Amino acid sequence: MSKVEAIRYGDRSVYSVSAFNRGVAQWLRRLPELWLEGEITELRRNEAWASCFVTLKDPQTGATVPVTISRRRLDALGLDLADGERVHVQGRAELYEARGELAFRATTIERFGLGEHLAALERLKQALAAEGLFAAERKRPLPRFPRAVGLLTGVDAAARGDIVTAISTRFPPARLVVAETRVQGPSAPLAIVSSLHALSSHPAVDVVIVSRGGGSFEDLLPFSDERVVRAVAGCPVPVVSAVGHEQDTPLCDLAADVRASTPTAAARLVVPDLDELTAGLARSREHLGRVVRRIAERDRERIARTRDRLRTAPRLLLERRRSALTASGGRLRALSPQGTLERGYAIVRAQGRVVRSATAVAQGAELEVRLADGSLAARVEEVLE
Amino acid sequence: MTDPQQLSFEEAQRELDEIVGRLERGDVPIDDAIKLWQRGEELYRRCAALLEAAEGRIEELAGDAPGAEAS
Repeated sequence: MSKVEAIRYGDRSVYSVSAFNRGVAQWLRRLPELWLEGEITELRRNEAWASCFVTLKDPQTGATVPVTISRRRLDALGLDLADGERVHVQGRAELYEARGELAFRATTIERFGLGEHLAALERLKQALAAEGLFAAERKRPLPRFPRAVGLLTGVDAAARGDIVTAISTRFPPARLVVAETRVQGPSAPLAIVSSLHALSSHPAVDVVIVSRGGGSFEDLLPFSDERVVRAVAGCPVPVVSAVGHEQDTPLCDLAADVRASTPTAAARLVVPDLDELTAGLARSREHLGRVVRRIAERDRERIARTRDRLRTAPRLLLERRRSALTASGGRLRALSPQGTLERGYAIVRAQGRVVRSATAVAQGAELEVRLADGSLAARVEEVLE
Repeated sequence: MTDPQQLSFEEAQRELDEIVGRLERGDVPIDDAIKLWQRGEELYRRCAALLEAAEGRIEELAGDAPGAEAS
């Protein structure tokens, strides 16, 4: 490689155009072989040309780079490339010295469509799963009463509005910390990681929602970026992934603690329902009142019953004594002579002694006949056997 | 016992539920029952006040993230 020489004019070094171009071309040749990804546009092939030309376009920014490839090589690949096809191109940077024009000299071109993206994603998923990043044991429960909810959302009023509305409707006192983030394009993954870090570092944020409205597979790719997935898995506060719609499954869904497929579902996960809370509180209070009243009732009853027992006790005692007395009285009477007399019997005495037999007295003897209520003086008329 | 004014909603609600439970289960004498009931009322008032007073707040995180847009 010839050394590039400058011409000296006094103390100024000046390069000819050719020398400059040659120098830059030499510098470029130090770059290694690289792979580029982009879209085919303006494919120009001619049987008469030794090389074919393609303008390779970056679909995110529209930037382009001219690509050249030998016609023989291109034909050997057997691809029938159409405009807009996404490809991978291997080759080196090159400067066309005559014009000072940058080009990428390709050695091979490969189609890289959805299939390859999916395959690459699948490989990444397996690798991260093997590390245990998606394990069920790592999932954390969400706080019931977060002090603040962190919301990572795209710069899209509609998507952000949906979630904010859902949360504020369910729990009006909710405190939200919103980080609007670029969620599309090559700078998206780092922006997402940075916002996630900022939200989780906020002192009051107890849970974070990572949200992004629906979109194409490419639109959602940043949420399957390895850096984003790792950031979600390693986030110090629980993460709810609300990316895309029901049928989308970006990898961050797997790394998050919970997945929500709609803004309403996300709101339900992170904040309590104010109406239910209020109703529940009212029920508790009512319950409290009821239970205390029940205890008071029970106590009152107990006291009333005791008082009643107290009142009736002496009377009962008296009753019992009285009936006992009556019973005794009855027994006594049954045993005494008075009772016998009252039944009609008489006690006969002669000369002060009780007469038990008819033979104990003679005719004419004087008798004293004692009846229940008095006595009679009597004389024996006749003794009858 | 912590001053109800120092309790968070979660703490106050939990204690209220505990009190109701105790009164339901235990053979609590009427004096203690009344004291517990008063405590329960205080906790209820604390919870209700927290729910009514709190206003929803939305705070924007400054966009110093690469590529983040200012709102």
